[in-house]
Amino acid sequence: MPAYYLEIIVVVLGLTVLMVETFVSLRDKRSLGWLAILGLLVVLVLNFTVVETGGEGGNTPFWSFYVMDIPAQWFKGLALLATIFVILMSVDFSRVLSKGICPEVEDDGVDDCAENQVALSEFFALPIFICAGMMWMASAHHLVSIFVALETVTIGFYVIVAFMRRNVGSLEAGVKYLILGALSTGFLVYGFAWLFGVTGEMELGAIADALNAPDVHRTGALFAFALILIALCFKIGAVPFQIWIPDVYQGAPMPVTAFLSVGSKAAGFVILLRLLEPFMASEMLNANVTSVLVIIAAATILFGNLAALPQTNFKRLLAYSSVSHAGFLLMAVASAPAHPGVVSPVAAVSYYLAAYLMMTMLAFLIMNLIRVQRGDENLEAYKGLAKSSPFLAFAMLVAMASLAGVPLTAGFVGKFWVFVLALQEKHYYLVAFGVIGAAAGFYYYLKIVKSMYWDSPADAGSSAAVPVVVAWPTRIAIVLLVVGVFYFGVNPGALLSLFL
Amino acid sequence: MEEQNLPWIILLLPLLSAVSILLFTRRSGNISALISTGSALITLLLGVVLLRMPDDAVVAAFPWLNLSSNFVVEIGFQIDQLSRGMMFVVTAIGAAVHVFSLAYMKDDEGKARYFAGLSFFMFSMTGIVFANNFVMMFVFWELVGFSSYVLIGHWFEKNSAADAAKKAFLTNRIGDFGFMIGILLVWGLTKSIYFTQIASEVVDEQVLEGVSNGLLMAMVLCVFCGAIGKSAQVPLHVWLPDAMEGPTPVSALIHAATMVAAGVYMLARISFLIPMSAGAGEVIAWIGAITALIAALMALQQDDIKRILAYSTLSQLGYMVMAVGIHAADAAMFHLFTHAFFKALLFLGSGAVIYACHHEQNIWKMGGLAKKMPITFVTFVIGTAALMGLPFVTSGFFSKEAILGAALHGHKALFVIAAFIVLLTAFYMTRLIVVAFLGKDRSDNAAKAKEVPALMWVPLVLLAVPSVVAGYEFFYKGMKLSPMSPAHEGPVNVWLIVISAAMLVFGIGMAFWGYRGESTEPMRLNRIAQVFAHKFYIDEAYAWLIKVFQDGLAAFTNFFDRAVLDGVIARLPAAGAFRLGSVMRRLQSGNLQSYGFLFGLGAVLIIYLVVFK
Repeated sequence: MPAYYLEIIVVVLGLTVLMVETFVSLRDKRSLGWLAILGLLVVLVLNFTVVETGGEGGNTPFWSFYVMDIPAQWFKGLALLATIFVILMSVDFSRVLSKGICPEVEDDGVDDCAENQVALSEFFALPIFICAGMMWMASAHHLVSIFVALETVTIGFYVIVAFMRRNVGSLEAGVKYLILGALSTGFLVYGFAWLFGVTGEMELGAIADALNAPDVHRTGALFAFALILIALCFKIGAVPFQIWIPDVYQGAPMPVTAFLSVGSKAAGFVILLRLLEPFMASEMLNANVTSVLVIIAAATILFGNLAALPQTNFKRLLAYSSVSHAGFLLMAVASAPAHPGVVSPVAAVSYYLAAYLMMTMLAFLIMNLIRVQRGDENLEAYKGLAKSSPFLAFAMLVAMASLAGVPLTAGFVGKFWVFVLALQEKHYYLVAFGVIGAAAGFYYYLKIVKSMYWDSPADAGSSAAVPVVVAWPTRIAIVLLVVGVFYFGVNPGALLSLFL
Repeated sequence: MEEQNLPWIILLLPLLSAVSILLFTRRSGNISALISTGSALITLLLGVVLLRMPDDAVVAAFPWLNLSSNFVVEIGFQIDQLSRGMMFVVTAIGAAVHVFSLAYMKDDEGKARYFAGLSFFMFSMTGIVFANNFVMMFVFWELVGFSSYVLIGHWFEKNSAADAAKKAFLTNRIGDFGFMIGILLVWGLTKSIYFTQIASEVVDEQVLEGVSNGLLMAMVLCVFCGAIGKSAQVPLHVWLPDAMEGPTPVSALIHAATMVAAGVYMLARISFLIPMSAGAGEVIAWIGAITALIAALMALQQDDIKRILAYSTLSQLGYMVMAVGIHAADAAMFHLFTHAFFKALLFLGSGAVIYACHHEQNIWKMGGLAKKMPITFVTFVIGTAALMGLPFVTSGFFSKEAILGAALHGHKALFVIAAFIVLLTAFYMTRLIVVAFLGKDRSDNAAKAKEVPALMWVPLVLLAVPSVVAGYEFFYKGMKLSPMSPAHEGPVNVWLIVISAAMLVFGIGMAFWGYRGESTEPMRLNRIAQVFAHKFYIDEAYAWLIKVFQDGLAAFTNFFDRAVLDGVIARLPAAGAFRLGSVMRRLQSGNLQSYGFLFGLGAVLIIYLVVFK
């Protein structure tokens, strides 16, 4: 089976989820979520069985738009996994969702809108389309296909961020994301135009050759790079284009926030790695590109970690945390070794993103449950969680430990490789910033652990003492993620060997 | 069953038992006890089968740490006469103690925890015995330390037990730290951690040639530190008497027969290293001799039946270590082998007495038990005779003669000390028997004592048999345990036997006449006796040392921590970071126009950095 069937299957799955309602009347529309998860799981399995070029030899023009290498396969896997977890969260979240969509209930007490689970199927279908976009992105190898895939993802996000249209926060987040996102897309297209102008090519391999030629217009190429970098920094949330992140993360519905922080970021990095390759390979441009990446990485780590320190809203805290992780990832991106060393930036970034997916999804799954059942996103809600729901508290502890980078967790190994790379390239200042950032990270991640395990709830006897109900699919997901965090923390070779 | 898998089963069965008790049958003490005892009996059976395993048997090893192609740490097995024999001792006494515990711990609330601990100990001890490399031995070395900690502190609600457990663990850690340094030195100097490899390299290739004697001595003595801790040699002997706070069967198994002997076993394993350094053997021998002597002196004035036995264990371990030091490791192992049986017998016997007297441990509150508990009495006397080394009829005689013989050949001063200890041993053991078993009862508890149930006396009888015969050739040869016997069985030195027999008779006679019919310690007010009773004030001296140094250091570090670390290094930057974070947060105004403006500013900045710099 050729690789591109994967995306086609995903799109068909999305359409199915969207249209089922037209033909079948469902008592509980959450079953559409299960259908979506099942379908995506099948694609996930297929993802590891497809033949690279599906026996077509890869000589047709199509294969200049689309590649299927190990990073592509890897990121497709990540996109699928992230989507599965997001839909799982959406199922839990559906109750809150209807409140954000339906008008206030009249006196008669019958809430038709909520009863009918209005718009739930769209809420399941849109992430699937976004997932297809991300999967294309992982394989995109041509400026046009990159742009189309990226916009598929971004436009999908515009919709789901503002999905709870009667919720002011969600709406505001949507508008902000739309306007700033459009701005960044403008920069991207402009950058692509410059790149095409300078090189006369659209395919990344050809662009690399053109940039390596001695007669390339240096300033023009750098200008193109700067414009593209601006747009991609926006996508991954790197300083100075991180400003939208806290507001949008906080306003968006919880599953969407998780999707943004994991899926959107991973997609941004995959494009960044692809587009960076030709620039890094060119000896003339290499130095400028690296130096600016180092500066951005240092600033991002510093901003993300320090701004997170005084946060009291958990969602916003994770938004800053996602900024700081983007900084660590950029650290790896900025450290492309001249000679292949222990580990390549692609491998380090891939590993880090996988670890990031596991620990962030773990945190969001639990946050989502607390949000739905206790109606609170603040750190206050986590006080004494260890007493009322020890299982969730432990899972959250694992997530936080991994995000902070405690040894034996996947998060530690991710950071470890990043630091190894940066040291190899002698980016000592950057490493120093990384150390400061990681140390500050311990403070705010462990703050949550402290409030779960050592603080008692502000008002005893209230909802805080009631155990949080965890449905079995969510429970399985949490257990799998906890196991994953430990397994890949103890045995990093299991993932890295793919890239060696 | 594949013979090659046998050691794996012996190793993992107790672990399986411990884990399944902890996970599944924790609620039911009885089922847990049966699981644990069952596993102990099966391992005994397998331990006997193992005796038939040939020397060249290769057991599949598990590569545990694969650090590079030429350095792999295995969980591997060295099956030779040494480990087979030791394994037989461990499983035999382990089985006896498990059975005894069934009755002794019948009504204990933490029965499941207790048996899980025993099983875990069996697992850890097996690992030490089978280990074919230093790292694996060290890992299991720590694990026995842990299980010993758990079992000493079994009655942790009692402060003295909790303290004793802590003391044992910490004291052992001191020794283990030295052991670790020693292992690193061996590894560094020989480039190997495998015993057989080191042995062949040291002997054949002379890898240690050219290394200074000081370094070699440091290597041997650091490794020896491990034995000092685990086998409770001076100056780290202080934990063993306190460890008697644990249940008596535990004292018999761990703190008399097996774990404390692990130090001697380890020294026997690496005995080829000791002659590498001139002087190291001397130091080891003297530490052993001093331990043996002062422990025997302390035993003279103890009143607690278990403590007398504990000091006697110390003294006998000192004997063994001394033998290793004078390059008679086989004599040491022979004594280890016989001692394990009779000392386990004595401890279980004391357990039976304590059980019968409703947990009375003071011998002055016993008396006249011989008539009420005849089986216990007879077996106890057999054990005592073996410990004293009653000529020709007990196992202890043969092994002790082996050590004395080695000392006589090598070291006259050590021989004098060793012979004097024979006298002391005879004295304190006779005192124990006369006071506790003869005469008339001196308390209600002793008056109401009656013979213990069969579950308890059967293990005593079974242990009494090897206590007598383990020294005879037919026994150890028959069990293929020849390495346990001294290799250089020269002609019997008549003078040796005469001297030691004279010491023995003298010691027994003095104690018998001195203590017969007494109801309180007649030497209580004697100054010297006081010093013995207070264990030479060593514990007090340690407490003082720790108080002065540790408290001083603690005060200093506390100051340093508060003023420098917390104040200057932690709080200042933290406050700064918080400030900076708040400033950054203020950028987040929520206003879309200003976001757009910042975006544009950022874009200009990036373009400047990329293109114009």
